[in-house]
Amino acid sequence: MKPLSVSALAVLGAISRSVRYGFDIMDATGLPSGTVYPVLGRLERDGYVRSKWESQGIAQREKRPPRRYYEITAAGARALAESAEHYRTLGARLGISPRRTPTTK
Amino acid sequence: MMGDELSRDARAVYDRCMRIVHVARVVVPERRRDDWTREWSGELWYRALLLDRSRGSDRHAVRRLVVRTMGVFPHALWTLTDEMRIDPMLQDLKYAIRGIVKRPAFAALVVATLALGIGANTAMFSIVHSVLLRPLPYERPDALVYMYGGFKQNSQAMVSPPDYLDYRDRNSVFSSLAGRTVYGTAIITGSDEPERVQSSIATANFFSTLGVKPYRGRVFLPEEERGDHAVAILSYGLWQRRYAGDARIIGTTIPIDGRPHTVIGIMPPVLDRTMDVQIWRPIPFGLDEMSVRRFHFLRLVGRLKPGVTIAQAQRHMDAIARDLAAQYPENESWHLNLVPYRDVVIGGVGPVLLVLLGAVGVVLLIACGNVASLLLARASARSGEMAVRTALGAGRSRLVRQLLTESLLLGVTAGIAGLVLGHYLLVAVRAVGDGMLPRLAEVEIDGTVLAFTFGVSLLTSLVFGAAPALHAARSDVAAMMKSLGKASTTRSAVSTRDVLVVVQVALSFVLLIGAGLLVRSLWRLQDVQTGFDPSRLVAASVSLPQTKYKTRDAEVRFWDQVFERVRAIPGVESVAATTLFPLRGGGDTYFYIEGQPPATDADRMNATPAIATEDYFTTMRIPLIAGRVFNAADRSDGAGVMIVSDALARRLFPGASALGKRLVVDFGKPFVGEIIGVVGDVRIYGQANDAPEMMYFTGRQPNAGWGMGFGNLATRVRGDPDAIVSQLRAVVRSLDPDVPLSAIQTVESILYDSVAAPRFRTQLLVGFAAVALILAVVGLYGMLAYSVTQRSREMGIRMALGARPTAVFRMVVRQGMMLVVVGIVLGVIGAIAATRLLAAQLFAVTPRDPAVFVVVATALTMAGLAACIVPARRATKADPIAALRLE
Repeated sequence: MKPLSVSALAVLGAISRSVRYGFDIMDATGLPSGTVYPVLGRLERDGYVRSKWESQGIAQREKRPPRRYYEITAAGARALAESAEHYRTLGARLGISPRRTPTTK
Repeated sequence: MMGDELSRDARAVYDRCMRIVHVARVVVPERRRDDWTREWSGELWYRALLLDRSRGSDRHAVRRLVVRTMGVFPHALWTLTDEMRIDPMLQDLKYAIRGIVKRPAFAALVVATLALGIGANTAMFSIVHSVLLRPLPYERPDALVYMYGGFKQNSQAMVSPPDYLDYRDRNSVFSSLAGRTVYGTAIITGSDEPERVQSSIATANFFSTLGVKPYRGRVFLPEEERGDHAVAILSYGLWQRRYAGDARIIGTTIPIDGRPHTVIGIMPPVLDRTMDVQIWRPIPFGLDEMSVRRFHFLRLVGRLKPGVTIAQAQRHMDAIARDLAAQYPENESWHLNLVPYRDVVIGGVGPVLLVLLGAVGVVLLIACGNVASLLLARASARSGEMAVRTALGAGRSRLVRQLLTESLLLGVTAGIAGLVLGHYLLVAVRAVGDGMLPRLAEVEIDGTVLAFTFGVSLLTSLVFGAAPALHAARSDVAAMMKSLGKASTTRSAVSTRDVLVVVQVALSFVLLIGAGLLVRSLWRLQDVQTGFDPSRLVAASVSLPQTKYKTRDAEVRFWDQVFERVRAIPGVESVAATTLFPLRGGGDTYFYIEGQPPATDADRMNATPAIATEDYFTTMRIPLIAGRVFNAADRSDGAGVMIVSDALARRLFPGASALGKRLVVDFGKPFVGEIIGVVGDVRIYGQANDAPEMMYFTGRQPNAGWGMGFGNLATRVRGDPDAIVSQLRAVVRSLDPDVPLSAIQTVESILYDSVAAPRFRTQLLVGFAAVALILAVVGLYGMLAYSVTQRSREMGIRMALGARPTAVFRMVVRQGMMLVVVGIVLGVIGAIAATRLLAAQLFAVTPRDPAVFVVVATALTMAGLAACIVPARRATKADPIAALRLE
């Protein structure tokens, strides 16, 4: 399997930690919106995340339009683990200690 | 949908962001558009809510939100590219873009060729649209009728005020009938430098007849036509220029012709574009000269009542004219000529513009031909690719659609490029052609033109795209697969291209003939002898305020002082003045030979009178043919004297000397003058018009001419004429600061300007013809080069079998020149038919001028030959070994 790109890894990592909304993912990863949304689109197309609309009830109670949120799929969790592993190995090979994954804030 | 949960600030931020979202939205494929928008609006609303909760109209947070919103653009683009993976139409587009990027030279050639044609058409159509098609900037312009006075000898004369009043009161076809003077001038003095401006005296209903409302203030009141009212309306241009657009000018007085006038209104800018009048004053019907039926100086404008045609109105006004003629003997044969107002404004340029529009249309046709030819070549070069794709299961409609997408993309790109090009062409034409075309200032690319451009570009791309696409789709897969790598071509494709080349050559031949005729006509025009020497001659207009210079003596004294001081300027050779300067106006009066008064009014003779000072003929270098010129002895107390032009002398006294004969000339009062000299003829109406028959008078004799209150100073210098302009100004100002000096110009530049209009249209047509020639030659070259490439195997075999390179060379040249010759023959036929349209624009050149035909045919043959040589040389380089190996 082709490893995920660094930004895809960052976005997928954030979603795996239950950061679910586009703008929250930007906050969590520090990536610009012009990167996050296309990455979300690709991840969803490849089956690593699925998107849902939050329930009308919550939105109506708060008198705002519903937001779309993203959840990681089983395939996504697998890809995340494999890619993280890939980058860790790569780092080790290059002599860089894998202190943190790029997904942390 | 949502309640007012957001504060006003937050709501404003949300709205601002959503506007950005809506801009980007158009890119998003329709299938995803709603979801996409909802996702963004959900997030943005939520974030706006957070702004409120953190009590933050925090600037940084707001800016960050807006910056983040900019991410909609990459997001939207991503959805589009993602969609391309699955949507066949977008796939076609992607494929087309890739094809263009892979062959940039081909695409650039196609786009440049089309853009040239489309750009020229956009510019030309914009001009035609503004000048010919768009109605006048007045209310219901089709109902407006312009009226000339007419009598036996002149159908474009003026109308007298009493006649106007009768026509106005007796007619039942016009809802409103107005009149005004044309060609008047006035002098404005006051705070600024004195200035001579165009002025007009109009009836009170003039503006309401046109449907023009004042920009500021009011128009004339009906009672201001009676009695003596010193009120004036200014044009928008004058108001802006001289009074800096200050609205407080209304109600104040300004000195006009030495008399204070109250400014009552400002006209809207739209009037400046169609009428060269800066000062409007009400017509004083009460004055004595306003009640004389012989004094014709008004032009009329009427608004037809609904349902009345111009022909009906003409019959109706003719009936009134007959009544008036029966009532007043001086009205014999006088009537009105009704003309649609639009025709008067457009003047004679209609046919010229249509010819030019036809010419650019031809350029576009040639451009399309070239593009079609290029695409045909490309299609046959790609027949292998098409065959492979068909074999792999691509349906024919799919292939056609893909080819059409490609040409559509090229067409749209060319349309955009053409629009930009057209805009700049228009800017250039506006700069060059200022004053050459009526209403040129109004010309702009508007919605109609935009639609036209894109219509043309889409139609073009579909037409030229369809042929190769159908051709490709029709082809026999098996045959093409077989011929893969052999680079042979079907005969039918080549013959289509042959036809295209022939048509292009023929069309460019027609355009070149048109351009050649205009160039030759312009040369003839510029070679015409004017009858005087324009070199190092400066002209300037001087107007003396009537209130200050009331007598002939005062005028003469002023001019004498001017001459004295101008002569003192270093570098001045001689100086003189005349009332009627060449290329600056004219006008006739009646006269008869003493002792032979005309029996009836219709037998009266007329000629053009002018006052000239003593040194006028030497300064202008107008030859003296017989007798003498004026001198200081020709005074008011002496016998009346005059000088006539050669043409007039010959007409009046054929075979005899005119000297010593006496003429009685009508200047209101009769003036009797003895002919003391005969001078050469001068083309005062420009080179294209014949020299009028002239009578010259001296300003020193009362009743001779209409005085020298307005005159043209002619100064001949030794060095650079431009150098003395400021000194001329200083001289006049030192004599009288209230006298304006205007229209200072070297006579050579006046002459140059006088042929500006024909030069302008010649330049345009030459430009179009040059573009057509280049396109046609490129088309021929491309066709031959392609054909040589396709036939390189054949050439190689021929040479392997013993053909000499010169034979191969000749064969290719012959193939190309056949097309050129056939094209020229067709072009000759086309040109003979088409150049008749140009006949009215030609001066001393017939539309079938053999010299032009020969020169153009030779030039085109040469250009064609040049286009053949390169491919022909390449053909001789074909490698026989390589050709045989392929077999």
